[in-house]
Amino acid sequence: MTASRANRIQLVLVMGLLVLLHFYLRPRLWSARISPDFLLIALVFFAMRAGPGAGALAGFAVGIVTDALTPAAFGAGALAHTMVGYLAAWGRAVFFADNLLVNAAFVAVALWVRDLILLVASGTSYGPLFFELAVSSPLQALSTAVFAVLVLAAFREWFAIRLDV
Amino acid sequence: MTSASDRSYTRRDTVMFLACLGLSLVGLFSPSSWGQGVSDALRDTVLAPLVWLQARAEEGRTSRARLKAITVQRDSSAFLAQGIPSLVAENERLRQLLTLSKRVSTPYVAAEVLHQPQATDGRTLLLDVGRSDLVSEFDPVVAPEGLIGMVLTAGDRSSVVMTWAHPEFRVSAYTVGGNASGVVAPSLSSAAGEGALEFRGVPYRDSVPAGTLVLSSGLGGVYPKGIPVGTVTGVVREQAGWERVYRLLPAANPGSVAHLLVLVSSPGANMERAFPSDSALLAARLDSIARIRLADSVEAAKVRRADSLAAAKARRDSIAAARPRVVPPAPAPRRARPDSLAAPRPARSDSAAPRARSDSAAASRPATRDSVRTPKDTTP
Repeated sequence: MTASRANRIQLVLVMGLLVLLHFYLRPRLWSARISPDFLLIALVFFAMRAGPGAGALAGFAVGIVTDALTPAAFGAGALAHTMVGYLAAWGRAVFFADNLLVNAAFVAVALWVRDLILLVASGTSYGPLFFELAVSSPLQALSTAVFAVLVLAAFREWFAIRLDV
Repeated sequence: MTSASDRSYTRRDTVMFLACLGLSLVGLFSPSSWGQGVSDALRDTVLAPLVWLQARAEEGRTSRARLKAITVQRDSSAFLAQGIPSLVAENERLRQLLTLSKRVSTPYVAAEVLHQPQATDGRTLLLDVGRSDLVSEFDPVVAPEGLIGMVLTAGDRSSVVMTWAHPEFRVSAYTVGGNASGVVAPSLSSAAGEGALEFRGVPYRDSVPAGTLVLSSGLGGVYPKGIPVGTVTGVVREQAGWERVYRLLPAANPGSVAHLLVLVSSPGANMERAFPSDSALLAARLDSIARIRLADSVEAAKVRRADSLAAAKARRDSIAAARPRVVPPAPAPRRARPDSLAAPRPARSDSAAPRARSDSAAASRPATRDSVRTPKDTTP
């Protein structure tokens, strides 16, 4: 088995674990609105590893999944996650994020940007939009970032992300 | 695959990004039915395992919540179930006491028993009434089932009752048939225990069958006549040619009683009417049913009478309305004739009243019959 094939298998295992956590563990946690978004963690880490094109494609797939499971405004989730996937890969290339906290901040910002695009694209009115962006999204970004740090610390070799810690 | 930081942007990445962006915008601005269709198709196919997984997770979470709710409901039900039998029993006893107080003709004071957690609780009872409630020593104490005992000491606001389980308890008694009399005392034999009474001093020639009710005789000036003391269950011992001692099942249980009546100023009173036999109670209940039926029949007769009057009036009106068409104009004296014919009709409708009266009389017949069925005289 070559190294690249082993890396792919490891990547698939971690992504599968995050998907499992997202659909099986997350409903059992506290309020769903502030619990960690495991799918977004998987998307950001995959995009940072794979590049803008693949990140955009993965974001589109994740967005389609979220749109299919929360059929409020079909396409808004795909648009938001596509943007996030592309920007995550672009940001990784620009900011040379080799620090653990910078990676966590990447995840937090990605989640907040995702929510911003999602809420605007789905036509949310100003009141709920500001509340979500000011209260719920930061809290969820914080919890997601914390869990992203844990995942990164555990599987950084598998993600092929260099960390200066 | 190389790291993203090591890659330069390629046209392929841009194309992929723009393609995904375009598809997202198409999905966003397409008719909602399209989006719904795509969503349904995805949920039913590739996302089905994820939906199933999430459903299990939700089920697990709601199961915990349901388990908590069921536990709370079970605990509440168990708590209520613990209290319901005692409440029902207390309610039944209070009802019995209420009916007893209606039948008692002598002055009485209702009292509550303050049970003490002592092994000897039952021999003496502490009541929440005393001299301020006109309770004094030697006042008889009764329960709906029968005799409990007498007031031993009376304080200002409480009093102590010596029950029939007390070793010094004695009451003069006689059997319902009146063929035997004696003294009832608590059983001293260890075999019978503290929960039994003895009917002593019964002449040897007087045989008392099991099941005979024993009442207080009123002799001695403490207990009024006619209070149930117990029921004969058998012979304890006998002295040949002299006396028999019978075992009695006490009528009332001091250990479980909660509310009592203290009979004040009762010397010489006759309590037989306050403690009727079961057949007399049944007859009284039938009397009340007969009274209800009688009242119902009277109401029904009133309704029937009102209906017949209304029908007669309507018939009279229809005759009066039909008269100008059929009967030619007649002189005034003859015009009164139909009215006079119609006049008896209300009288005919009034005949319903005697019928109603007969109904009520028929309905009252059972009451008369029951009232004849008075409890048999139990005086010795």
